[in-house]
Amino acid sequence: MSNEAMSLIVIFIFVVGVTIVGMVPGMREKMTLEQWAVGGRNFGRWLNWFIMAGEIYTAFAFLGASGWAYARGGPTFYILGYGALAYIIGYYLLPAMSPLGKKYGLMTQPDLIEHLYGSRTLGILTAVIGIAFLLPYLQLQLTGLGLIIETCSYGQITRVPAMLIAFTMVATFVYLSGLKGVASTAVVKDVVMMIAVVFFGIYLPTHYFGSVGGMFEAVEAAKPGFLALPGGTKNLDVSWVMSTLVVTSLGFYMWPHFSANSFSAKNPNVLRHNAIYLPLYQFCLLFPMLIGFTALLVLVPALKVPDMAFMTIVQQLFPGWALGLVGGAGALACMIPAADLLLSTSMLFSRNVYGRTVGQNASPDKIGKIARGMVLVLTAMALALAIFTPNMLVNLLLTGYSGVTQFFPMIFLGMFWKKATRMASYAGLIVGEVLVFSLILGKMDPLPLAGLNLNAGFVALVANVAVFVVVSLATYKEDPAREKALNQG
Amino acid sequence: MNPMKIILTIIPFVWTIGMIPFVNRVKPIVMGLPFLAFWLVSGIIVAFLCLKGIYAIDVKENNHTDV
Repeated sequence: MSNEAMSLIVIFIFVVGVTIVGMVPGMREKMTLEQWAVGGRNFGRWLNWFIMAGEIYTAFAFLGASGWAYARGGPTFYILGYGALAYIIGYYLLPAMSPLGKKYGLMTQPDLIEHLYGSRTLGILTAVIGIAFLLPYLQLQLTGLGLIIETCSYGQITRVPAMLIAFTMVATFVYLSGLKGVASTAVVKDVVMMIAVVFFGIYLPTHYFGSVGGMFEAVEAAKPGFLALPGGTKNLDVSWVMSTLVVTSLGFYMWPHFSANSFSAKNPNVLRHNAIYLPLYQFCLLFPMLIGFTALLVLVPALKVPDMAFMTIVQQLFPGWALGLVGGAGALACMIPAADLLLSTSMLFSRNVYGRTVGQNASPDKIGKIARGMVLVLTAMALALAIFTPNMLVNLLLTGYSGVTQFFPMIFLGMFWKKATRMASYAGLIVGEVLVFSLILGKMDPLPLAGLNLNAGFVALVANVAVFVVVSLATYKEDPAREKALNQG
Repeated sequence: MNPMKIILTIIPFVWTIGMIPFVNRVKPIVMGLPFLAFWLVSGIIVAFLCLKGIYAIDVKENNHTDV
């Protein structure tokens, strides 16, 4: 059998197998909206662990990290830093959010905002902004899945049909499975991914250079300084990495889909306990980078699409079935996070935009139907973006981060600072998002400022926090309703 | 808040973000990794240990029970 048939068959088996596993929880019982969206709020330690940890191993970790290592060098190492810091924020934030969710029936991030500040309009605004920045993240997953299908078919299936296949696979999966399906399949995905990245991350450098250290020595000899900052770039220097680490570590739990994940926990202690061990999972992000650096030295001619570094080196060295195994692991790494993202994004639309505007009297059933319908609309939008505005995977992720990080003052200070006010949230959020949009669209990310190169999201966040604090202090007055809203008891 | 908890919360941020200007170098290669990468990887362990400490303080102060 030909290599491409072999590798595509292996991927197909992976995908169908996981879709079936994902459907099981949904078939056993008829799913209510709460079960579909927040897993019935009864995720114990292990399911919570896998839904939280599963978020790390996405198309971004698998293809983006190796692609950036291949193209940019040193700046890629920022990826090793932010996750562990984010879990420290999460240790404080999530256990405080989860009891509010249970007590007041909150399911989404805008639900929380609406509750904290007693403002429906602010909730709607948060939902709309959240959707806008989830789309590039979703685009990232679909692009990744498209790249995998393209490489594994040895170019027989070209980019656009590959993405159409990816679109169908993801939409079917999320439609049938719901959040519990996502969590239980994340287990399978993580195990397969871990084996694939650790094996190739160690095997490839050892095969060519004797050891991981030998490979890095060779990179340094061939391209001195490539492994430090700014590496293979002009402006991703020390100040860029520092400002990016601030944005990504504070922004991590501002992704709307993470709110749903914290609301799905059975109790706050599950979240505290898992926050301790999640940082260790970050080690695994190192391995795709090792593959990217090896590919840099080994692959001739140079790649046009750096994100294909991982897949291409495996394709050149191994037979079709092995490429299929890697492709299958990669496909799951794209599909399952994409499903989680789609689920959350469609909830944002149906519950917090539709349900708070024209559909105020809609029944939960109707909201659920619209959420499921939105899955198709959103996948189609991400697909259109992926086809018409292709971009490197890490760039897509960073754009999304810059946007969602602007929620940080509103949520974090809103939870822990008594004097945070609704006016301050509006003012800070609007200032932050306008800055992010204008800097990114004006191609000023990173922003050169006084000899530094700052992440656009960081610049916007600083302005946002300053405005938030000043306006809060100016507009604060004793408000029993807000104090009651923060009461977790 | 317990001052020890505040210190344990700040250490990982200083380690991983604050120290970048001083660790931006390729050599020496430690445990097979360029120095910058080694430093960031060691930051993961620092964060883990600090979180363990914070959790232990929380349990001791009876803010919640262990699971």
